[in-house]
Amino acid sequence: MPLDIVRIRAAFPGRRIDYYRSIDSTMRAAAGLETGAVVLAGEQTAGQGRLGRAWHSEAGAGVYCSIVLKPAPLLTLALGLAARSAILDASGLTCDLRWPNDLMLADKKVGGILVQAADGHAIAGIGINVDQTAFPPEIASEATSLRLQWGRPPGLPSSTDILLALLPAIDRFLHRDPASILRLFAEASSYASGRRVTVRQPDGAIEGTTAGLDLSGFLIVRKDDGTDTLVLAGGVRASGS
Amino acid sequence: MTVDEIRELINLACETGIAELEVQRGENRVRIRRAGFAAQQEIVVAQQSYPAAMAPAAPAPAAAEPPQEPKSADTNLVLVKSPIVGTFYEGPSPGAPPFVRVGERVQPGKVLCIIESMKLMNEIEAETAGIVESKFVMNGQPVEYGEALFGVRAV
Repeated sequence: MPLDIVRIRAAFPGRRIDYYRSIDSTMRAAAGLETGAVVLAGEQTAGQGRLGRAWHSEAGAGVYCSIVLKPAPLLTLALGLAARSAILDASGLTCDLRWPNDLMLADKKVGGILVQAADGHAIAGIGINVDQTAFPPEIASEATSLRLQWGRPPGLPSSTDILLALLPAIDRFLHRDPASILRLFAEASSYASGRRVTVRQPDGAIEGTTAGLDLSGFLIVRKDDGTDTLVLAGGVRASGS
Repeated sequence: MTVDEIRELINLACETGIAELEVQRGENRVRIRRAGFAAQQEIVVAQQSYPAAMAPAAPAPAAAEPPQEPKSADTNLVLVKSPIVGTFYEGPSPGAPPFVRVGERVQPGKVLCIIESMKLMNEIEAETAGIVESKFVMNGQPVEYGEALFGVRAV
């Protein structure tokens, strides 16, 4: 279903909201725009994931959005909490958060968030799978959509519904203090502590059990030999997945 | 954490011969890194203040040996430092060519690398025109706040 851009713009008067029926990447389009600007797309032909990976962006099936923000402490954790809150408000579905901010339903990824910082701005790219009924074979085992998890086709929220909840949620969570973001993340994420994980890093994988976040929001992983490793980037996966 | 406890940790590091030891107790974190036979200690008290985008409160895990040490007394060599704790990437994706190679001439604004911190990708740009003379960290290596990444010879 296409985005109802008229409804979205009407809900946020005075805010710059650019809409493209089809674009290579909302991240590229958002570069250089003013703080607060939002770029939405019906589809992305070259959606960006972490470290040059692609983000599957089927036409009309998901939220493909980039928002220009000011850098803030724990920004990526706050964005994950905001997206989780928006999905809950719009659909009633409660996502898990895989550190730092992957949105998970039934241990599969339903949404991803990436932030690119440059020139004093932080551009947040948020992708949420809403209406997909299938995924390409290479990601089918680890991706899902709200429709696939919903189980009750009537009443499935649209991408428009998600966006109407998402933009205010981001504003709310970005105004929270770091201590409350850490606390809320610990409450919302099964990955925050006691979860068996494998962390893929450029120089190899480590395995252990999560043992909370430090005050900067980095994930502590306790290896079986008792030593702690601080995970700085991403690449955290549930062991065995 | 008391001085005696820290001394005990230093002795432990020396006796066991391990290269690095990091212990956190409450808000105090002590890291002891052995350089040759000399033990060096660094104490970071975690804080709730967040300068710039991210807090430099947590030291990075043990890093691999840098290819070479930054030169400090050379006034024409501009050190490009990491503004945050994170992971250093020399290129936009695994297997892609690096943003910049040693010996290359750069202009202000040229992207030199990415430091990733919790899926926040920070593009680090050259601030001065010059020739990249040194790269101090390896691809995928954790870097600390203020750690030198490149040496750029101003021209």
